[in-house]
Amino acid sequence: MRPTSSYEERLVTARLLHRFNFGPKPGQYADLLQRGVEATQSTVLECGLADPGLDSVAPLVLANLGPFPQGNTPVATAFWNTIELDSGKLVMWWLDRMVMADHPLTERMTWFWHGHWATSISGVSYPLTMQRQNDTLRTHALANFEDMAKSMVVDGALNVWLNNNENYIQSPNENLAREFMELMTLGVNKFTQHDVTAAARALTGYSTNQATGAVVFDPKQHFSTPLSILGTRSKLNAESFASLAVSRDDNARFITDRAWFRFVSGSTTAPASLVGSFASRDISSLTSALVRSPAWTNPANALVKSPVEWFVGACRALQVRPSSLNTNDTQWELSQMGQLPFNPPNVGGWTYGQAWLSGVAFQYRFELAQSIVAKGAPGPLSVPKLKMVQACADWLGVPEWSRRTASALAAAVGTPSELALAALLSPEYAVSA
Amino acid sequence: MINCEFDRRRFLQWTGAGMFAAMSAQLSLESLASAATDSPLPANTPILVLVTLYGGNDGLNTVVPFTDPVYESARSNIALSPSQLLPFTDSLAFNSSLPSINTLYGHNKVAIVQGVSYPNPSLSHFSSMAIWQSASLTGLSSGWIGRWLDQQPHNPFNAIGVGSTLPPAFVGVKSVASMVDVSGIQLPWGPVASLLPRLGRSSSSDVALEAAAATSITDLYSTASLLGPLVPTSPTGSTLGQQLSLASTLINANVPTRVWEVNLSSFDTHTGEQLDQNALLGEVDAAIGEFMTSISTGSRANDVTVMIYSEFGRRVASNASDGTDHGTSAPVLLIGNGVQGGLYGEPAPMSALDPNGNLQVTTDFRSVYGGLLHDVLATPVSDIIPSWNTALSVH
Repeated sequence: MRPTSSYEERLVTARLLHRFNFGPKPGQYADLLQRGVEATQSTVLECGLADPGLDSVAPLVLANLGPFPQGNTPVATAFWNTIELDSGKLVMWWLDRMVMADHPLTERMTWFWHGHWATSISGVSYPLTMQRQNDTLRTHALANFEDMAKSMVVDGALNVWLNNNENYIQSPNENLAREFMELMTLGVNKFTQHDVTAAARALTGYSTNQATGAVVFDPKQHFSTPLSILGTRSKLNAESFASLAVSRDDNARFITDRAWFRFVSGSTTAPASLVGSFASRDISSLTSALVRSPAWTNPANALVKSPVEWFVGACRALQVRPSSLNTNDTQWELSQMGQLPFNPPNVGGWTYGQAWLSGVAFQYRFELAQSIVAKGAPGPLSVPKLKMVQACADWLGVPEWSRRTASALAAAVGTPSELALAALLSPEYAVSA
Repeated sequence: MINCEFDRRRFLQWTGAGMFAAMSAQLSLESLASAATDSPLPANTPILVLVTLYGGNDGLNTVVPFTDPVYESARSNIALSPSQLLPFTDSLAFNSSLPSINTLYGHNKVAIVQGVSYPNPSLSHFSSMAIWQSASLTGLSSGWIGRWLDQQPHNPFNAIGVGSTLPPAFVGVKSVASMVDVSGIQLPWGPVASLLPRLGRSSSSDVALEAAAATSITDLYSTASLLGPLVPTSPTGSTLGQQLSLASTLINANVPTRVWEVNLSSFDTHTGEQLDQNALLGEVDAAIGEFMTSISTGSRANDVTVMIYSEFGRRVASNASDGTDHGTSAPVLLIGNGVQGGLYGEPAPMSALDPNGNLQVTTDFRSVYGGLLHDVLATPVSDIIPSWNTALSVH
């Protein structure tokens, strides 16, 4: 048996589990503390292994609902009801996958990429089209970023969301061209308005079936003369434009910074060596370099858990399948906290940090925690009351309770469900310190 | 389809600075509640209400230069027809979706500042909104109202955003504004409820973000004790209407708040602009009309100034999707019973566009802020906006 873990080991282990694996399942944190940081790094990077937890989530099959119905008829009412119902199913299906996965890295990376290619069902309307994008993001989640960018530039949901269906040679619509460079591949000020105008032309000729997400290319509607973009001149279609953007050095810096920002810290910056790990645009090598970064011992690298990350972590700890909760209530509470999957506020993705920590958000955090605890298995029951508060930290993957929280939790040890509720609502659990 | 906050790289660092706001001194629940009830906003204290239109509102279809031939020729597919216009001078008209604002203008209560942006405008939603909300062209890491908050005695009611996430303009170096939700405040219930306020206490071992999480708990309780009784639990009306209705209720109740923020999204009209923008402007107009009626019959009738702004205007020429792409300058509207109505600044000429086909900038938005800082917040402009001391007064 290893000696008792140091605070630093507890901190690093907790950070890795919460940031890359949506938090520990019961017993996992204590187990990994025994096995050490290197074993934790390997564990959180596991993917492609047999995953009985994930397999327990039934595949979600959504129907093609066809074109929008006309008029205010019973058919139209039924159509919109189905859209709403399917939308809820899609949200809960994905949350189930995040919670149930034994090796959650792929789901976690898919979640990161969803925020990166931030597409909202509010503009796309069809859950099926959103699900197809979700499948694409999952396929490429840990693979090659150039392949991902080439798939996403012709993704139906993204094309609808950013108006590429209305982008014509005679009068380009610049929305996809601009945001693809600014928000998805290069970063702000890494291109000119001239590049945007030209890129919009490279993106002509694609039309999306909004109901299915299928994208068709019509060469006759495509601007086929050579274009000057980003200092090069050649004939470009959507995929070759995507490759061109991804080939820029700015792309490596940009994606590395985005990953650092979401996984490590908003107050420190990614070291150059990390940018180097993304030289071949291999996402798994960037992820591995992040996980094995020395940054995890730096106290400055604290993050606020986003509402979904907090919710999924709580469900994993209490072994609650999100779809067993009330779908409408859960979606409402997450959206009031500011983060409902498939509904980013805009193409820039979700906010971060202290913005998640308003008093109003706490009201909904309480309501969610209440419903999770009511459904779940509330943590460590088999230890004496005197050790229960510490056992609770080990259960949830909290490095250390403050004296404030320890004393509040000590008042609740008589009732496990109250102890669990208070622990989930503690400042230490809201944050990945 | 952009409509809200931004988290671009530079800006990420920007809001990142907001994290450290958590380190500001926290008052106890008891002291907050008593300060709020015992010290209502003194009579005649000016109040600022920011109305943020996210996405880039098309200024040319809001305040319309309807006699300029370029208006019709450059955007024939979205140019408003005579029946969609409310002319208020020989050459300018409001979009007919703005009847209440047109009436207020007739009563000299609306100042229209023309051609507002900043040098070398960014066509990025995120960069441009960051510039507007920070009042800085160089990526200053705090919001302009946040910096004003930093100078005030600490009080969580100094500035309030309506919603559940903070607008970056409201995040200072050491202070942040509070939030209040339109759908009312429901305090935690059940056996654990008595423990939760204890989780909101500060602890010496907290890192900054843990302290902020603890503060959020305290904020919920302090906000509930002051505002809870005033907030309807089932609001009605449009998105913006609910927000402004809540703001007017609280303003009329003399809540000690100097700055409010409400917002509306979806102004990024790349396609089908007329239908979408007219509906959005109609929502703004109805909400502002009701707000001004409520304020004008309350105790703060002459205290309130509303500023309506967006991160940029839109391209002069429309696109083939019956929409417009990102542009530059646009009018800013300032409304209030204490405002001297009329036109301010020079119109941006439609015949002399920049190389991207966008309007020139004739008024720097920092001058508008300067006027508001001076006239409404009684604060020297250069204390809040570095290297800037121009103030365009509309009072």
